[in-house]
Amino acid sequence: MAGPADSALAPARRERSRGAGAAVARLTGGGRGPLAATTALVAALALALVVGYGLHDVAQRAVNGLVSGSYFALGAVGLTLVYGTLRLVNFAHGDLLTFGAYMAFMANVTWGLPLAVAALFALVATAALGVLSERVMWRPMRGRGAGLLQLLLMTLGLAFVIRYGIQMIWGTLPRRLDVDVTASIGFLGLRIGRTELIVVIVGFVVLIAIGVMLRRSSLGRQMRALSDDMSLAEATGIDTDRVVVATWVFAAGLAGLAGVLYTAAIGTMTPNLGFFLLLSLFAAVILGGIGNAYGALAGGLLLGLAQEWSTLLFDPRWKVAVGFAILIAVLIVRPQGLFGRRERTL
Amino acid sequence: MTPVLAVSFDALTSAGFWIGVGVLAGTYAIFTLGLQLNVGFTGIINFGQAGFMAIGAYAMGILVVRAGWSLWAALPAATAIATAAGVLLGLPSLRLRADYFAIVTIAFAEIVRYVAQNARGLTGGNQGLLGFDDEWLDLSDRILGWLPASVQDQFLLPLLIVVWIAVALLTGLLMLLQRSPWGRVLRAIREDEDAARALGKNVLAYKLQSIALAAALGAIAGYFLALNLSFLSPESFEPQFTFIGFTILILGGLASYVGVALGSVIIWTLLEATRFVDLPLAAEKVAALRFVIVGVALIVLVAFRPQGIVGKREEMVLRD
Amino acid sequence: MTDELLRVAGVVKRFGGVRAVDGASFGVRDRSITALIGPNGAGKTTLFNVVTGFARADGGTVVYDDREVSGRPAHAIARCGMVRTFQITKALAAMPVLDNMTLAAPRQPGEHLVGVIARPRAARRRERAVRARARELLARYGLERKADDYAGTLSGGQRKLLELARALMAEPRMVLLDEPMAGVNPALAAKLLEHVHALRDQEGTTFLLIEHDMEVVMGHSDRVVCMAQGRVIAAGEPEAVRSDPRVIDAYLGGGAER
Repeated sequence: MAGPADSALAPARRERSRGAGAAVARLTGGGRGPLAATTALVAALALALVVGYGLHDVAQRAVNGLVSGSYFALGAVGLTLVYGTLRLVNFAHGDLLTFGAYMAFMANVTWGLPLAVAALFALVATAALGVLSERVMWRPMRGRGAGLLQLLLMTLGLAFVIRYGIQMIWGTLPRRLDVDVTASIGFLGLRIGRTELIVVIVGFVVLIAIGVMLRRSSLGRQMRALSDDMSLAEATGIDTDRVVVATWVFAAGLAGLAGVLYTAAIGTMTPNLGFFLLLSLFAAVILGGIGNAYGALAGGLLLGLAQEWSTLLFDPRWKVAVGFAILIAVLIVRPQGLFGRRERTL
Repeated sequence: MTPVLAVSFDALTSAGFWIGVGVLAGTYAIFTLGLQLNVGFTGIINFGQAGFMAIGAYAMGILVVRAGWSLWAALPAATAIATAAGVLLGLPSLRLRADYFAIVTIAFAEIVRYVAQNARGLTGGNQGLLGFDDEWLDLSDRILGWLPASVQDQFLLPLLIVVWIAVALLTGLLMLLQRSPWGRVLRAIREDEDAARALGKNVLAYKLQSIALAAALGAIAGYFLALNLSFLSPESFEPQFTFIGFTILILGGLASYVGVALGSVIIWTLLEATRFVDLPLAAEKVAALRFVIVGVALIVLVAFRPQGIVGKREEMVLRD
Repeated sequence: MTDELLRVAGVVKRFGGVRAVDGASFGVRDRSITALIGPNGAGKTTLFNVVTGFARADGGTVVYDDREVSGRPAHAIARCGMVRTFQITKALAAMPVLDNMTLAAPRQPGEHLVGVIARPRAARRRERAVRARARELLARYGLERKADDYAGTLSGGQRKLLELARALMAEPRMVLLDEPMAGVNPALAAKLLEHVHALRDQEGTTFLLIEHDMEVVMGHSDRVVCMAQGRVIAAGEPEAVRSDPRVIDAYLGGGAER
């Protein structure tokens, strides 16, 4: 019977097939059908909205959606990487974003470093926190054969420790980064904040880099093998500990960066930032198919788009509810999301 | 040398303090009884209990304040509404894996709180809802009148008495149910769903019943919360309260209903007592520190003594 | 055809790109002992899962007692009298042996909330009867001394006995046993087979067993069905199937030969 043996080898074998369609299919883990369907659906939706509300409004909101989609995607990819490798739903992931934001605050405002340096610092600090949690909490618990409930509760506990730890140090009043949120750039009749543009650029560059890393580097291949079947990956000689640590470095680093970008785009940060975003991140991850990094990327972008376009129809107050609605709808109708596999959900 | 840590002991010896702790402990004992039924006895991870608490409390408040119902009629109606919400939530999502279901329940609780915050016309939004407890206050005064004169200045005392009667009744009821063949099926489901199915048990139906009952318990806890504060606001239903519930659950011990009451008293005594520790920190930061301590306590408990005080170690492992 | 209790017709089950069961068809006669054999990976357990409702077929039908049960949920099929055991025993380790048994009994008003609340006396009466029958069955299988111990304390062989005893508590018309002799010492295996025969002769229970041990198969089954690569390649009298060249081929070419 086929199964794990095939999929562990598959990452190497898939490089062979050619063609743009095949390349795209590979990109989404064989989801050529869903990718085409999704693109068609989004295009159709865009068209319907343009007819109803005019090209300018729809396009402007699409631009806004791209901005929020960038940090959603960054956060979602990290969340899905951890789930994919460790089968752990990390309820503390949102608070890694908060941590990143406040680390950047400390570097940028308290220490006076330029924002780019502060963002880098935040990324490294959050990655370190991720690795620390792996060493101190997750690895020992895995070694003891901890059950699902134990692990989930520990992620919840960690979430609270991080969030309230931050609150203890910095209080609940909103903090700002030293960025210019007023300057904006116009193009084709649309506006985007200068900082927002940087957010999008940084976000996309990092996402592409991660994508390339996952697809082409040996580490990326090992991460994907682990994600398919950990015991088999171990049996084929992959140093699982090293790969797991690498996963945390990327996942937490991305989260920290996402937190910084979110704050740069929105303007302020509070200790609740992470939990507030966490559910949207879950929505993005589940929409894309849990465990699938490219799915998370797509899910993040789609979520940003959906949220912004929803403001054409509803009061912006309900923007966040769009994420919830997507989450629930996907879980009910198609739990494996756009690009995931059904067996993983039941 | 100035003391870094000073505890104000006067507060700790006041009857008012202990009555306050008692009401909170009782409220969250009922809240956690629902969690115990779900997690400890059916094996479903319900992270959305605060959502059911909110639905029950707000349904009650809205029926009284906006629709003019009597409180006594609103209570059973709101319980029915919360139970229905549990079934509606469970129907499409209980077939999902345990961790997915956990995500759905957290999302559900946040949606409820979000709606409470934004549907201002109905719920009063962040300003909150008042005025639903007049009939209770009348009853409370009468109960107070029956008590000895020395305690008649403790206006929360009747609520304390009623909540703990409720805790005793509900705990007894749940323990009875657990000893029945129905309870046996739940335990089998928790241990191995497929084995239960192979023996002809409709696992989905039992899980739905478990969630429905937990929702009802959450709603009842919601009423006591509302009557305690005389005020309803979305703040009272933030996720940290479900989290406190789980800490109580683990501390008391999984699969022990009696442990729930014990755990709740301990946790709330600690949480409220730490209010009176004078640290060189601003008030909101002390509040944050309390939660950090609870967070660390939960992590340590789960890692090193998952069976809590009364539970058995084997109970802790939940297979997925 | 009409004395067939179970008929499997053209069942297909796919996992990813692989057809674990690729068009399997056979029948099981009422009140018979039928053995399902085949090399590892032939699709036997998957077929069991489809027949008992633990997996959804991608094609084909399953007819039990003249009713189509394809696609029905596992618990409903069990309630119809078709009870299965598992290759890796599913004794509920954290529950007492007696509870494992009483759980399996059908028609318990105490198992429903309505029954617990509205019919407490009937529930209590049934519970007493169920416990008595459970102890009786445990005694018949030599487990009565373990009745109040946690099932987790039983040895492997005892768990196999418990699975069988528990299956019988459910008052089945047909029992599907997935490798009942695996990891069981010969004396115990002989006992199990004795019980199986007694049940067929006295209660008219139909058995379908997945089995690798050829002696068991030859010596104790009325009919043998052989699967390979997801299909039924031979079915009939034990001797005929054993000497069928396709069967010999399948075992030599594929899995272990005993």
